Order: sequence, then C-alpha cells, then structure tokens
Amino acid sequence: MRVERSQKPGARSQKKNVVGSRPLFYWLLASGFWLLPMSCKSATQAGHNSALDSTDLVKMTDDMAMKLLASPNVQEAIARKGKLKVVVQPVENRMTAEVLPRGPAEAFTARLRGLLAQHAPDKFTWIMNRDAFYRLRSRELEGVDLGPSPDAVNPEYALTATFSSLTNEDAKRRSSYYLCVYELTSLKDRSLLWSDRYEVKKQAVKGFLD
Amino acid sequence: MTADEGQSTRLAAPRRGGLRRAPFICLLATTILVGCGPTKQQRTAGEAVSYYFSGDYPEAQNKLRPLAKETNENFVLNNVRLGSAALADYDLTEAEDAFLRAYEVINSVGVNDGGRSLGAVLVDEKIKIWKGEPFERAMANFDLGLVYYIQHDYNNARAAFENALFKLHDYDDSTDKKKNQDVESNFNVATLMLARTWQKLGREDLAHANFDLVKQRDPSLAQLADYDRNAEANLLLVVEYGYGPQKVTDFDGAIVGFGPKPYEAGRIPNPRVVIDGHAMDLDSFDRPTIDLLAMAQDRKWQSIDTIRTVKSVVGTGLLAAGAIEGVRGVNEYGSSQRRDLTAAAALAGAGLLLKATSQADVRQWEMLPRTIFLLPLKVEPGTHDITVEFPMVRGVRQTWRDMVVPDKGEATYYFRMQRFNPGPFQWPPPAMAQNAPTTSPSPS
Repeated sequence: MRVERSQKPGARSQKKNVVGSRPLFYWLLASGFWLLPMSCKSATQAGHNSALDSTDLVKMTDDMAMKLLASPNVQEAIARKGKLKVVVQPVENRMTAEVLPRGPAEAFTARLRGLLAQHAPDKFTWIMNRDAFYRLRSRELEGVDLGPSPDAVNPEYALTATFSSLTNEDAKRRSSYYLCVYELTSLKDRSLLWSDRYEVKKQAVKGFLD
Repeated sequence: MTADEGQSTRLAAPRRGGLRRAPFICLLATTILVGCGPTKQQRTAGEAVSYYFSGDYPEAQNKLRPLAKETNENFVLNNVRLGSAALADYDLTEAEDAFLRAYEVINSVGVNDGGRSLGAVLVDEKIKIWKGEPFERAMANFDLGLVYYIQHDYNNARAAFENALFKLHDYDDSTDKKKNQDVESNFNVATLMLARTWQKLGREDLAHANFDLVKQRDPSLAQLADYDRNAEANLLLVVEYGYGPQKVTDFDGAIVGFGPKPYEAGRIPNPRVVIDGHAMDLDSFDRPTIDLLAMAQDRKWQSIDTIRTVKSVVGTGLLAAGAIEGVRGVNEYGSSQRRDLTAAAALAGAGLLLKATSQADVRQWEMLPRTIFLLPLKVEPGTHDITVEFPMVRGVRQTWRDMVVPDKGEATYYFRMQRFNPGPFQWPPPAMAQNAPTTSPSPS
C-alpha cells in the first residue's frame, strides 16, 4: 500500500519539498536555542522595583522648588532679610526596608538646591554642609592640619528632607507608600519657615522566577 | 534501475539522513553544551571562593571584582561573593557597593522576563539571573545592614535588617501576618540587630518590642536580647562560624535540595572570647542566633521546579519508550526494522534532550556561614587584643591586636572564623586604613 502511494505521479516531488523544508525548520529551531540567551537583557536592564527612582527625583524636586519659591513665608523672609543663607542636608531615611545610600540621599536635596540656585539666584546663598565641607577639605588638602575653617559662613536656615514609607512584601508583591517631607527651618529659633510633601504609592508584582 | 544507480542511491541515503539529522544533533549538542563544563568565569569565581576559605580575602576580591561588574546571569551572585570577601577584609566601601548592587536586583521584579524565562525553561535554568533562595536574599540584606551598622549609619542598617526579614516572606504564599511571623522566627539575628538599631536611633519602644519578640520566639536568646545588656555594651563582636548549606541534586540532577541537614553537621559549638589575656564571661548569651542549615531545609518550591521535574519524568519515559522500541526494532527485519529503529532513535533523542534541559540550577552563595554569634560586651575604652576561639573545634581561632573600643558609643567588629587562619592581625586592617581617614570605626 505504501509502495503504491509513493508511486503516484507528483508524490515524489511533493515529499521532496516536505523533506527539504524540514531541515530548514530544525536549523531555525536549533539557531533559536542559541539565540535565546543572546536575546536576554542584562541584570540591570530588565526589571523594576517599588523604590523611589529618577522620575520621582525630578517630579518631586521640581514640585518642591516651585512651592518653596511661591511660599508667602519665604517671600516675606527674603523681603525682610535679603538673601537667605541656607545649608542643605542629605535626606534622612526613615523608610521601612528601603536603603538610601549617601549618593541618592544627597541627590534628592541637591537637585532642589540646584533648581533654586538656577531660578532664584538673588534669593538664596547656599552654604555647603559641614560634613561635606570637611570631607572636601580633607580630600583637597590631604596631610594638612585643617583646623577650624577661617572663612566659615554661618547659615541661618537648613533645607532638610525626611523620607518615610509604609512598605509590605509577600510572595506575590511588594508595595510601598512614600511620604517625602521637605522643610526649611530656622537654625536660630527652630521655627519652620516652609514645609511641603510629596506622596507616591508604588507596587511591584512578582512574576515567574521572581 | 541499473546496479550503479542502485548503489548511488544506497550511498546517497545515509548522507541525506545525516543532513536531516544534523539539526537534531546540533540542537542536542547545543543543549548539552550549555550545561557542560565550567566557563572561565565560573572557574575564576571558584578560585575566588577557594581564596576566601583560605583567608586570602584581598586575592578573592581581585578575582571577583571584574566578574561583579558583568551584568550577566551571575551578577547578583558575584556581587554577594565580592561583598562577603570585602566585609571579611574590612573593605567596607567595596562591601557596601557590592551588596547594594545585589540588593537592587534582588529587590526588583521582572529581571528574568522575556528571553531569560523562556531560556531557563527550555534550555538551561542557569540562564536566569540568580537572585538566590529566600534565606540567601535575607543574608545579603543582613550583611548590607551589618556594613552600615559597623559604620554607624543606623537608619540604613535598620532598613536593610527590615528588608532581610521581608525577604523571608517569599517562603510563604499567604499574606497572613501570623504565618509570615512564623517564617521570620528562625531569622532572629536580623530581629536582634534591628532592635539594636532602634536602640541607637532612640526608639526605645521599638527596641523593646523587637527584643521581646526574640525572647518570645527563642527563650534561649533571652539574655542576648536583654535591653540593658545591649544598651550598656560598647563593643559588639559579630562572629560568623561554620559553612552554610550546599545545593545538592538527586541522581539525575533535576530535583534540588540543601545539605547537610543540621543533625548531619552536628551541634554548633559555643565561642570563647579572650580580651587582653582574660576570658570573658559569655555563659548566658553565647548562643547561636540562627542555623542556616535548618533554614535551607525550607527551600521555596517554584514553578520552574515543577517544570523541570515534569521534563525529567517525561524524558525518562521517552528514554524507556525508545529502549522498548529499539529492542523491538532489533528483532525485526527490513522496513519495519528501519521504522522502529528510527522511532527508537527519535524517542531516545527527545528523552535525552528533555533530560539534558532539566538539570537544576545549583549556583549558590558559598561564603555563607552556618551561624552568627552576636556578642555585646562592655570593656574598658582603649585598645585591646581580642581573640575569638571555639575550644571544641581545633584550629578555629582568630586574634586581632589593638582593636579600638571608644569612650562613647560602640565599636562593632566582624570575625569570619576560618579554619587555620588564626592571625594575629593588626588593627586597623590595610583595607580600612586605606579607605578611611580615621583608624577605627568612629563612635556616633
């Protein structure tokens, strides 16, 4: 029966085509296996998490800069005293289960300082915070006894930020609600000249192989 | 058909068959090759691990540093390895950087989406980016917290210890808080350190709550979790002892588990601390805070484990079917024999392919200890020679000269106990002297 079928006119050429296309299919399949790892993204390219990121940094500091400049209290203090001498502190991390290394902790207030310095250069005098100043001096003047800074300028206000969060994680997801509070405080009498906040909720849903 | 034509057809047939089989062979070879032989990177990492266990931490770091920069599937693994070596070497800057890089990826979701997930399922599980078992993730966060704690960055230390406890929730699929607490209960070391950070941050309420939690979970740690003892201490020794769990597979490499079991490894011995020649009284608080060998027995079962197991079982079935078909083919003649042998070969090939791609991923963080001792001590401020030893275990002893205990605050020192690496070592270690302008962890 099989012999008869194979002897039908055209059957041979048809079979040849099928046979001819099969190796190509398997070659492609085999190549696919090779290509699979090559199509993979790197460990730092793929994935996302529920931490504060650069989008939050930009959005938050743009918002705070605008609100600080628009504050009636701040405008009044500037009108009364002239340029405000402000020292900037890194963010204080009170977030639950969220590490904030020194670099990002400084970036979240440094960008705000940068925006204010750019948009209102006549309203603020920016004073480097003491730790950063001594760190810089010790690096630049290595091996020299630094002593007290001869030309220290005492700031009148401190621009600070405190980040807090409510975070929870289970086998399915990690979610965080962030409250980022910025404050401009008088160093003389501890009165609060200005304060505002940025809030955001983030969630990362775990999937296969997470 | 002439005799010549017939001969040429017979000769050509195997060649065509060979061509047709070539993709199969290629496919099989590809798959098998992926799982075969260590790569140069794996060999280098293996050398680094050997250097670590022989106490040559700088050389271990030298080997691991370039590997830790490569953002491949071993990125997290090589960074936690580098972090371990740097921490033991007191290169805290490098340890922080390495653990932070690992922390970022461990905390992320979807890092294996797309090609990596498919590759891990179809080709080799090692294609996936290694993030470790929940206890390994918890330990990465604990070590990061410890690095911050040693540097008196208590806010970040607190956050890292909290995150260490979160990572254990992966063991449990439920959002039930009570169940999660059960899971956390065998990681008391993080809760203890969390209590200490709250103490340093002036949150007595939270410090008390966490110390009480430890006492409630493990009454044998009651003295160690004593609020006043921890508040009065000006010297904290963090002593890592023993070797962590090793990944082991079943006979065909598809099902993975951890060994040895705690009863196989024996009882954890108690440490002895000698300061300036005088043995300290540790009788009530020299208890091991965790046993990673016990924790590893709760290995998390993931979907890929099921897929791998099914592939292995189906592969075994196909191999058996292939063998039966082969035996039948051998006993037949002519076209039936050819048909059955071809079918047998196809079944065996598919079976081998499934078996080859069902090999478990046995990558692991080798540097982990079996346990961690936390020893809060109150000693005279000044410099001291400190020895930590395990009298019950020969060769496990380490001495440091001129360790600084401050007038105010607390100094934290990390001891990674290795067999036959006794020192004495001089404080400050070279890595710390190079990185810091001060010679000791300064009090807060």
